[in-house]
Amino acid sequence: MIQKKAQLKIQQMAFMLIAVTLFFVLVGMFVLTIYVSGLKNSAASLDEKNALLLVTKLANSPEFSCGEAFGNVRTNCIDADKVMMLKEKISQYKRFWDIENVEIRTIYPKSENKECTLENYPNCNILKIREGNITTEYSNFVSLCRKKVFNGEVENKCELAKLMISYNSRK
Amino acid sequence: MKSKKDNKSKIFSNRPALKNQTKGFLQISFAWLFAIIVGGFILFLAIYASTKIINTEQTSLDAGTAKEIGVLLNPLETGFETGKKNSITLPAETRIYNRCNNNGVFGRQIIKISQKSFDKWTDTNVNVGFSNKYIFSENFVEGKKFFLFSKPFKFPFKVTDLIYLISSDKNYCFVNAPDEIKSELSDLNQENLFTKNCPAKSVKVCFDSKDCNVSVNYGGGYVEKGNETMYFYSDALMYAAIFSEKEIYECQLKRVMQRGEQLTSLYKDKAEFISREGCNSNLDSDLLELGNLENSLSGSENLNNYMINLANNLKKENDLAECKLW
Repeated sequence: MIQKKAQLKIQQMAFMLIAVTLFFVLVGMFVLTIYVSGLKNSAASLDEKNALLLVTKLANSPEFSCGEAFGNVRTNCIDADKVMMLKEKISQYKRFWDIENVEIRTIYPKSENKECTLENYPNCNILKIREGNITTEYSNFVSLCRKKVFNGEVENKCELAKLMISYNSRK
Repeated sequence: MKSKKDNKSKIFSNRPALKNQTKGFLQISFAWLFAIIVGGFILFLAIYASTKIINTEQTSLDAGTAKEIGVLLNPLETGFETGKKNSITLPAETRIYNRCNNNGVFGRQIIKISQKSFDKWTDTNVNVGFSNKYIFSENFVEGKKFFLFSKPFKFPFKVTDLIYLISSDKNYCFVNAPDEIKSELSDLNQENLFTKNCPAKSVKVCFDSKDCNVSVNYGGGYVEKGNETMYFYSDALMYAAIFSEKEIYECQLKRVMQRGEQLTSLYKDKAEFISREGCNSNLDSDLLELGNLENSLSGSENLNNYMINLANNLKKENDLAECKLW
């Protein structure tokens, strides 16, 4: 009788300990999930912040900017001819800006949507740096300029465009 | 003999209470032993997990701060300005470690953060990297407030913006600086850069003598710091040499040239591309040569007159071209 009582107590204790351990493991996992999701959120928010700040400055970076090629130095002016060449060597610029894609869309004068390639340029209005669609978009208005020969004379042609950036969402 | 044994047993039988007490005092039941061992183990696990979580939290904080600093450098990109300034204030005493490597097409700018916690510097191995930033500073800068200013580097087209990172705890005194430098520093109005009334214990940057912490030979295009010499072209690289350790300056200069080489190739492609529209610039061969020189640059001593003259000629030719490339 005494032996049975002792065995029962040990069993009770063992079950209790397993329950306590399981409880702590579950609480730990719960805390870890919240913590990891918090980390992911803060990383995503930093990426978002980066894209937001970058979109206002990307047009002035040497790979995009007009410089003095179209007269005086202008801010938020993109050299379309240069971007066409950049598109061709974009594999070199992988992870350079930590963004997924860049798209420059002419918004004035309005025309039918046509993605630019070396064959149809400049009769197009969407300049995509990489293949794929723009997601989680941040945008800025810019002027998109290129050289154009008209009646044997070289002219600068500038149009109103929208520079759009999508970044790698970590969510 | 028998009677002696009987007497002994009688004596012990007369002390039953003492016998029980001794046994009770030493006896620990299995349940207690089991509970103590497992409880101790659970407590150990809990303490271990908490320590790990605190360390991870600190690491994540350091990594987050480093990334945030990198993101905050975006507004320092200049348009047509000759310079821009900004400052960062952090909640705790911080060390920003500046690292650089030349791997890949553009190399990488690496920032590592260590913050003071309970009077001890945290030791994190998390490096946050950027390919499009060029920070010039000492190996590490320490403080709560940091000043940043940037200047565009043109060779001969704009290659990038160079960012100078200085702790607010460190003052720089520019002695006998040329007028354009004095005027630039006074326009910049940064609290710790002085051209007159320098505070004591400031780092002396001299332009005409050698008895200073940093000596600048403005005409000769080099900066001397102790036994080390760093060569520069343009004011942007001069500031870079003044504020950086030689190792960082050389590595970042190489990265700047790596980007320059890519841009040179981009402009060469553009020249060919627009020539189909009848828009000629005739800079192809010079661009190719500059690209090759940029690719082979191994140190600032390679910034020689030949390379500088080539860049200057390219600028002149581009300015006179029918179709400017940049």
